Amino acid sequence: MNFLSNNIYYIGCFGLIFIGLYIVLTKKNLIKVIIGINFIDTGVNLFLITIGYIRGGTAPIFSRPGLNPERMVDPIPQALVLTTIVIGVSVLALALSLAIRLYHHYGTLNLRKIRELKW
Amino acid sequence: MLSPVLLIAIPLGFSFLAPLLKKGAKYIPPIAMLFNLILSILLVPQVMRKPIIVLLGGGWPPPFCINLVASPLGILLALLISLVGFLVSIYAIAYIKEGATEKYHTLYLLLLTGATGIVLTGDIFNLFVFFEILCISSYALVAYNGDKHGLESAVKYLIQGSIGSSFILIGIALLYGLFGTLNMADIANNISYHSLQSPTLYVALAFFITGFGVEGAIFPLNAWLPDAHSSAPSTISAILSGIAIKTGVYAIARVTYTLFSAKGFMIFIATIGIITLLIGEMSALGQKKDIKRMLAYSSIGQIGLIIFAFGIATYYGIFGALFQLVNHALAKSLLFLASGYMIYRVGSKELSAFEGLGKKMPLSSLVFTIGAFSLIGLPPFAGFMSKISIISAGIKANNTALFVFVIIVLFATIIEGCYFFRVVQNLYFKKSRDPAHNCVRDGCPTTQKSEMPISALIPIIILALLIVAIGIYPRLVTGIIESAAIGLMDKVGYIHQILGIF
Repeated sequence: MNFLSNNIYYIGCFGLIFIGLYIVLTKKNLIKVIIGINFIDTGVNLFLITIGYIRGGTAPIFSRPGLNPERMVDPIPQALVLTTIVIGVSVLALALSLAIRLYHHYGTLNLRKIRELKW
Repeated sequence: MLSPVLLIAIPLGFSFLAPLLKKGAKYIPPIAMLFNLILSILLVPQVMRKPIIVLLGGGWPPPFCINLVASPLGILLALLISLVGFLVSIYAIAYIKEGATEKYHTLYLLLLTGATGIVLTGDIFNLFVFFEILCISSYALVAYNGDKHGLESAVKYLIQGSIGSSFILIGIALLYGLFGTLNMADIANNISYHSLQSPTLYVALAFFITGFGVEGAIFPLNAWLPDAHSSAPSTISAILSGIAIKTGVYAIARVTYTLFSAKGFMIFIATIGIITLLIGEMSALGQKKDIKRMLAYSSIGQIGLIIFAFGIATYYGIFGALFQLVNHALAKSLLFLASGYMIYRVGSKELSAFEGLGKKMPLSSLVFTIGAFSLIGLPPFAGFMSKISIISAGIKANNTALFVFVIIVLFATIIEGCYFFRVVQNLYFKKSRDPAHNCVRDGCPTTQKSEMPISALIPIIILALLIVAIGIYPRLVTGIIESAAIGLMDKVGYIHQILGIF
């Protein structure tokens, strides 16, 4: 139980990544696959945040006297996550716009039917 | 003031200028890339003496800021990127006519910005960001034609590519969690201190190789490449084959040599390289319907050869790998560009449609043949020099497994010869089919020569001349490749130059 409560964030983010991979590998609908990719993105972002997180920590700003630098959370992963969120959103937007165009051509989003290119 | 920052800043700035000039947009990429080409040539002598390190973000000393490292390896690849990018953009002036052309040029420059950034940066997260710039613009460019096949392959590429990018990010997060730094030299310093014992490091290495392997199309992760390269416009196929997949290979080499210095791991890299080589070449042999798909599979094979040469893990192996990387970039972009107008003229991608084309498009057929011969590795062309240096490096390494792999490389060369000679035979030694079948469009007489427009012909001829020149006089490039190979091997020197310790 102690292990679980200590590592709950790591378990959570890798859970999200594996759920995302499962969706991408098994679902037939393109929209669901795109949602799966977004799951993976979210899981990775949470992982990055978790690495710099301190339980009960403060923001890394000396906003009032008496703040202990030891208890500050690491700001760099948060800056990285801001970047990756932006990247994730742009990939998502591109994927959805491609899905719309694909639907115009094939009339379906079932990936098992969109398979004209083989070998 | 010559600074490597301009190599990234100029294409990035010009790319957003393109949509403003609707008509003149097509002249923007050649101008930007010409500038990059001149700048990187001017930087070469300076970099050969001492790598230039540029600090970005506040001017803090290296472990605390983002830095660019213009080492001989970085500047060699930046030179290659700007050269191929410049020639392909000249070709695109006449070739890209339909659709939203100004968006094409914007994305094209962004792709090259990403590629240049990857090879110049010294910060692992910055490398990831440039990687995403490259990937996102290439997803969009693969779908540029807007037809069924282009969209299908773009979606395929996007799904695989974004999972690969997530894997890279997990690797970066693991390294940051271990060492609390993102600077590549600092991470390398920490890892050599820990001497690759922690299991987390192996996990991170596996994530990096999987993630970069998707972009580099190493064997189990190569499913997107033949589709994407064959259904994109020919200029984009050329740039993807010539530049984009090379950045994945560069990243794998950088991670394995500089970051992890995983010497014992290299035989695994050589093995996946050999498997990729065999799978790629054998699949290429089976392609008769689509010449671009054949060239794409051949790219997978060549990437396998380059990765194998990196896996030899000696100075000669790295030298051969970098030499082969340069030659493949020149030859494969030449082949895709030449086949672009040939497909356009005959109206079909099938190999049999190319019969007798040697009479109708003599110059294009000639340069296609030069590119094909260079890839096979026939003597007067550049490919011979690099292939023989890889093979001799494999023999010199004194390792039984590597010796067997060298035999497989020679066997794969025979397969390569089979499918390229088949195309060359179709071009020159077969009568063209009956005119009615061959000329569907406005009844053109078959004997009439229909060469490509002059602006498309010039870049292809320059590429062909470069291949012949390097083949006859390899010293043209070997100087910088040698110092690049030494730079990649010399991990301590890399750390020392950036961190200023030891």
